[in-house]
Amino acid sequence: MPPALMNPLMPPPPPPSVSVSAPPELEGSDDVSGRSVTQKRRFGDLRGLQWRVDLGVLPSESSTSIDDLRRVTADCRRRYANLRRRLLVEPHIPKDGSNSPDLTMDNPLSQNPDSTWSRFFRNAELERMVDQDLSRLYPEHGNYFQTPGCQGILRRILLLWCLRHPECGYRQGMHELLAPLLYVLQVDVERLSEVRKLYEDIFTDKFDGLLYQENDLSYSFDFRKSQDLLEDEIGSHGNAKVKSLDELDPALQTIVLLSDAYGAEGELGIVLSEKFMEHDAYCMFDALMSGVRGSVAMADFFSSFPVAGSQTGLPPVIEASTALYHLLCLVDSSLYSHLLDLGVEPQYFSLRWLRVLFGREFSLDNLLIIWDEIFASDNSKVEKSVDDNIDWGLRILHSPRGAFIAAMAVAMLLHLRSSLLATENPTTCLQRLLNFPENINIKKLLEKAKSLQARALSVDISSPSPLIIGYHLQSKSVMTRSQTLPSETVSPKTPVNLLTDSYWEEKWRVAHEAEELKQDGIEQQIPTRKKGWTEKVKHTLRRAGSDPPPSRIKNGKKESKVVRRNILEALHKALGPEEEAEQMDCHEILCKQENISEAAEGVQQNDNSKGDNSYSSDDRCPSGNTGIEESSSVYSDSTSPPNEANYHEITSQGSSVASNLYLDECDETADTSLSDPPLPVSDHPESIPETSESTDVDVDKSENIPQMSGCNNNDPGNSATHPKEKKQNKFQWFWKFGRNTVEGISGKVGAASEPTKSTSSCSNQSNSQPPVSSTTSEHFTSVSSKGDSVDQNVMGTLKNIGQSMLDHIQVIESVFQQDRNQGVSVENLSKNILVGKGQVTAMAALKELRKISNILSEM
Amino acid sequence: MVLVLALGDLHIPHRAPDLPAKFKSMLVPGKIQHIICTGNLSIKEVHDYLKTLCPDLHITRGEYDEDTRYPETKTLTIGQFKLGLCHGHQVIPWGDLDSLAMLQRQLDVDILVTGHTHQFTAYKHEGGVVINPGSATGAYSSITYDVNPSFVLMDIDGLRVVVYVYELIDGEVKVDKIDFKKTASIHTAH
Repeated sequence: MPPALMNPLMPPPPPPSVSVSAPPELEGSDDVSGRSVTQKRRFGDLRGLQWRVDLGVLPSESSTSIDDLRRVTADCRRRYANLRRRLLVEPHIPKDGSNSPDLTMDNPLSQNPDSTWSRFFRNAELERMVDQDLSRLYPEHGNYFQTPGCQGILRRILLLWCLRHPECGYRQGMHELLAPLLYVLQVDVERLSEVRKLYEDIFTDKFDGLLYQENDLSYSFDFRKSQDLLEDEIGSHGNAKVKSLDELDPALQTIVLLSDAYGAEGELGIVLSEKFMEHDAYCMFDALMSGVRGSVAMADFFSSFPVAGSQTGLPPVIEASTALYHLLCLVDSSLYSHLLDLGVEPQYFSLRWLRVLFGREFSLDNLLIIWDEIFASDNSKVEKSVDDNIDWGLRILHSPRGAFIAAMAVAMLLHLRSSLLATENPTTCLQRLLNFPENINIKKLLEKAKSLQARALSVDISSPSPLIIGYHLQSKSVMTRSQTLPSETVSPKTPVNLLTDSYWEEKWRVAHEAEELKQDGIEQQIPTRKKGWTEKVKHTLRRAGSDPPPSRIKNGKKESKVVRRNILEALHKALGPEEEAEQMDCHEILCKQENISEAAEGVQQNDNSKGDNSYSSDDRCPSGNTGIEESSSVYSDSTSPPNEANYHEITSQGSSVASNLYLDECDETADTSLSDPPLPVSDHPESIPETSESTDVDVDKSENIPQMSGCNNNDPGNSATHPKEKKQNKFQWFWKFGRNTVEGISGKVGAASEPTKSTSSCSNQSNSQPPVSSTTSEHFTSVSSKGDSVDQNVMGTLKNIGQSMLDHIQVIESVFQQDRNQGVSVENLSKNILVGKGQVTAMAALKELRKISNILSEM
Repeated sequence: MVLVLALGDLHIPHRAPDLPAKFKSMLVPGKIQHIICTGNLSIKEVHDYLKTLCPDLHITRGEYDEDTRYPETKTLTIGQFKLGLCHGHQVIPWGDLDSLAMLQRQLDVDILVTGHTHQFTAYKHEGGVVINPGSATGAYSSITYDVNPSFVLMDIDGLRVVVYVYELIDGEVKVDKIDFKKTASIHTAH
């Protein structure tokens, strides 16, 4: 026996005087491979035999008698022999003389695919392919694998397997799966011969020898002589040597029994037989490839089509790769995301790892240890609690063996972790993955893999759904980051999905309506607009009156959607006029300029008409304001856009300059505003436009439209771009708002008082504002009055206007800043951010205002 | 196991336009290991075509061959058989077994393949075989107009050779088989 063939991991040959206490042997092998399942391993020191048991070639029940093993072995060998006889055709040797072959069909050039010759040519083709690979098989173990005998065995086995499984055919890599199997059988046989040498007397039947030696004497051999021999032997060997089989240690006993030519099935049943190595190797290979009754069938890894019954619809090896990444993701998400970022898909390296079961990454000796573990893991499917109705995607994780394979791969990945994380491009990453270091601590790696295996199995059972989701993401090759943690992907997914159904629709609708309204606002007369406004008010009032928040919570998502839509509509309607108001502001300002410069009477008229209109509109004003008040109280606390706060404060201010506590005495203020509208209203139309939104103004402006149409053309850029920007902002708010409703609704009721507080505080702080605004409005009136008489002072007055506007803006800014500070102290963080954002947008709007004023001042 | 295709006297394009379609469909690359051609191809295109079937091509010169570099006779050893190749117009009388046997002895071959007569013949003679594959295109000869296209495929395996004869008769390919075993004495004689 060539020493190179001796497996270094094989236990040392037993000492000549074997005591019954042989277990140290077993322990030795345990230490080497780190096995935890020794008790299961019946043939611990005979790896080939153990693998045959593990792979399902031989019965695995420990109660199986040696005779049964022999019978099964013999059956396998018979099957193989039959197969070989049937499939390996020798066309030029006639099967038998009597057979008259149809030459037209059975000739070398026959086109008939069924003819023996075409079969022969197909086989020859296959053989060439196999040979190409075999000639390069394990060059470092060339002294064994490159021998003609071994190559012949390997070739025949592969050829037969491929012919037996034409759907699979031969694929590169199969030979590397087969070679170790043959190798362990060879090692076993060598171990047997070694043992045989030591205990020759037990193995060789003396009668055999006598028969052979005294062949010509045939039956007349000397019984007395043989008797003597027997006695001699017993006498001579005495106590030094083992007298009978029973005295041997169990392991050796098994070996002897397994190789007894007179056991069950005779010579064919010798379990460890050099003669039948080819047969045995084929059976093992077949079992490994087909995965006898198990879920891991290596043949699947070579096929490029999804297995029948696979949920994923992916080739199994890709599926296994997905499982591998899934496991990695659970174990080490940072490495996982790094690999994802680099675009290193698992199949790039796992194809090579899985198809030959890591045969290319480890030396043969280490590989055998790894395979020990792989085969030791049960290949049967794990009993699932969820049963058949949900057959989750990743089949490889169904069985302990598959899980171990995946775990092994992940352990290898983790072994390379640091060097992988250091890579910056996929090429180097793959280089490192595909050049697995050779000097590794195989024991540690296996321990890691084992712990991962447990994890993989438990994960697989406990949470099947994330697997599928994870898979779906991957199958679409989206591989988004959201996959990083399954629990994360699932929980936020549903609400978002529910939202998106209606969200875009809604958004579109809202945008559409806004567009329509805007057009309406420009083209149509007040009544319709008024109607819209009142409608809105009614709407909001109704909503506010019904006190929706609790019901919303109760009614669940669908209801909340409707409510949300209501809110959105209301908000939109509330904001729509606002935009228009802004638009009008610009118009108005420009108009006023012209009006002022052209004719003071126009202004006068305007004022008059305004006065009238605002009078009538003020009738409505209180209710409108309450509506706004309510609606803003509904939404402003979840999002609390400062715009609204501002709006709020301005409206309250607009309705009556005197009363700051507008909310408290709504009806009364309505009365007061009814009673003495002329003064504030006549003032405010001028002052409020600059501070942006007010319903009164909006209404007034819409009346001005006919006059302003001319101005519209004068400064289309301003009027067009500004509102649009505003609208954009609004939609952002809408969006955020819609998202927040679900969570925010619950808090809304509690916090409902909040906005009023803040607004009241705002208005308190903005108490400093009214004087300024009043001064500006005074300015205006004075300007307009002056304009009556003096036309030459136009430029000066304009400058004054600009100045006053600037002042005004500064005041607003300061108010906002204060408001923000307060907001930070009061609200929670997310709201603060939103508030801050809102303020930013408001500030942007103010900037626009400032621009206008700059233009004005320049003029 | 080696497959050797033996054919000759195609006379393309002078006496025949091309190989019969049925033959052409049968002759596919990858199966045949050697081609021996007795000559009279007559043009280079046929030579090229034969090369596509199998790169190992052996040709002797017929009287109509354009390429004058072909040898008059050629011998080659395939497996345990020694094959001799000659067109045959030099051997008179044409197609005469004794004359051919003389050439066979001269070349010291087990199998002698000749052509020129456009008639398939195969003789077992003096422990060897003398084969005439006929004309692959069915071209007429100076002897006869009645020619069936035919060629020969030899399956040489060890000491045994099976000669498959393909003949196109009335549009159908007819296959015949001749077994020949080299005797041990001949083997030792070498």
